Amino acid sequence: MSNSKRRKILKLGAATAALGFPAIIRAQPKEIVMLGIWPATGAFADVGPILDRGMKMALDERNMRILGRPIRYIVRDSATQAGAATRRVEEAVDGEGAKFVIGPWSSGVALAVSEVAKRKKVFHIFSGGTEDISGARCHRYSFQWAASPYTAAKTVVDNFMKANPKAKRWHLLVADYAFGWSVEKYIKEVGKTHGLEFVGADRHPLGEREFSNYVQKAAANRPDAVAMINFGLDAVSGAREIFNFGLTPKVPLIMTWSSGVEELVQLAPEIRENIWVGSNFYYTADTPVAKEFVKSYQGKFGSPPGYAPSAAYSMTRLTLAAMEKSKTGEVQDVVKAMEGIEVNDLLGRMRVDPATHQTIRPYFFMRCKPKSAMKHPMDFADIIATGDAPLPKEYAACKDIGGF
Amino acid sequence: MLYALMGLGLSLITGVLNIPNFAHGALFAVGAYLLVSTVNVIGNFWLALLIAPIGVAILGLVIEYAGIRRLYSAGHDYQLLFTFGLALILSEAIIIVWGPVGYSHLPPPILRGGLDLGFTFYPKYRLFVMVVAGLLVAATWLFLEKTRYGAIMRAGIENKEMVSLLGIDIHKLFTVAFALGAYLAGIAGALTAPIRGLSPQMGVDMLGIAFVVVALGGLGNLLGAIAAGLLIGVAQAVVAAYWTEASTAVIFAVMAVVLLVRPQGLFGIR
Repeated sequence: MSNSKRRKILKLGAATAALGFPAIIRAQPKEIVMLGIWPATGAFADVGPILDRGMKMALDERNMRILGRPIRYIVRDSATQAGAATRRVEEAVDGEGAKFVIGPWSSGVALAVSEVAKRKKVFHIFSGGTEDISGARCHRYSFQWAASPYTAAKTVVDNFMKANPKAKRWHLLVADYAFGWSVEKYIKEVGKTHGLEFVGADRHPLGEREFSNYVQKAAANRPDAVAMINFGLDAVSGAREIFNFGLTPKVPLIMTWSSGVEELVQLAPEIRENIWVGSNFYYTADTPVAKEFVKSYQGKFGSPPGYAPSAAYSMTRLTLAAMEKSKTGEVQDVVKAMEGIEVNDLLGRMRVDPATHQTIRPYFFMRCKPKSAMKHPMDFADIIATGDAPLPKEYAACKDIGGF
Repeated sequence: MLYALMGLGLSLITGVLNIPNFAHGALFAVGAYLLVSTVNVIGNFWLALLIAPIGVAILGLVIEYAGIRRLYSAGHDYQLLFTFGLALILSEAIIIVWGPVGYSHLPPPILRGGLDLGFTFYPKYRLFVMVVAGLLVAATWLFLEKTRYGAIMRAGIENKEMVSLLGIDIHKLFTVAFALGAYLAGIAGALTAPIRGLSPQMGVDMLGIAFVVVALGGLGNLLGAIAAGLLIGVAQAVVAAYWTEASTAVIFAVMAVVLLVRPQGLFGIR
């Protein structure tokens, strides 16, 4: 066989291989590993699976790919314990190559995870009521999706007082951890502008189920309104006990920072009467993305999404949007892209403040419907206002977001 | 009073059968769920309050007859594992039958709202529960103290071999004791449903408190269980009035203090 013939055969073979086996010829694109650190056990075990749903839905919309690279989604149990959550995040970063961390669900645990993100230099986004992620303990790698506690407090107090101008004596029931303290502080600050008198403020531990003692004290104070700053089953147990004591519906109850659907579905319509609800999301939000998401979620799971799956869904979408904007998918490029990003998404106009990493977005305020006004079993409340007042500069504790 | 009711049931089972019943909290939860389902079917709270605990007692009877009875000779570890596994099975069964999401059940209309007692507000339904639970504790006490079968049960706690030698069917005694304990857990759960609502894990908190009551009163001591239940309830209420945040911790603090002074519990002798 002549040299020229042999070369022709080799060229032909190489061309066939390139056409027939492109994956062999081209390098495999490097996968992007995203970690959902959700509570599967512990205080918020009921929320973990629905957070996972939300994140999966956002990833599935993209067919598990971004920037032409495959996404590998891994989940770890935060157990709503700082020790367990940080250990599992570190293992996922070191062992699985996770570079993008979303979660967990408790403010106290999230602050610990945020420290891991800073040390390991991985992207981290969280939704919760602590102001420290975008405040005193802000740093370059962590972002906050939930409204600032100030935004929540301002929306709730301003709009409640607009509807109930005479309800000046408030009794507070506060979950005794980072989230409760943050929201309580601003409820009291905003309350001053309305001349509110706080006739009592009791703190309860996370996971409290026996509220009779707290409500007894609240009832003895004869308040015009009771405001709860707690979450999940704590809020459900508290609202139920307040009804049992005969406070609601005579005295309005404000659930300042509610998960919305997941909490309201656990309360009978009679208990929900005269309950006012602040939440980071409500499923009747009037935006195209929310409508599409709610329709898809209801189709899959039979019930509308509450705050938890919506937060996971929106945090994932926001992260993917930043990845796309970064064009590289590298952590520091994504962080830079996230800083100042502006999207018209689940909640409408959303913007990430580059100075604090706080998402500036609407907070929802609803009033529960009486049983007779409900059009269907999930028709819990009407959105009566939204608010997006950002934290005033004088309160901002994040003085310098720092470098990489 | 609910603590006393739960503690009494658990103490009865612990005393007569000599096994720690880790499924007691799950039986409590089943009682609550059965009450709500019965109300939904027959539409009558009062009738449901009679029927639901009987359902739990029957379940207890089946558990003892089909499960625990086979393990009396197998040793403590097996009995402990069995009741622990049973608790998990019952919790999962609740999720399968009634779903994972918790919900509320309202008290009957006549017992809704609170009463202004002058010095404090108190929900009417909680007052009703205090009275009913008090009557049930008294009735159980009378049954154990004044009836022949009650005397046999107490004798069974003291000395099973002697009771057996006297020609009394000890296995039947075990079955009845377990069913009665399950009944007390079931009615405590049914009474609790309108107060605390329903969730598959609702029995977990109550199981912890029931064990505190049993340990505090003296293992297997029925009078001790009643006294410890009342003591825990009163301590919790008093502390809550002055230091609300410590109202749960006080349960365990009281137990720790009492057990340091009297390791056998308030009325225990062993």
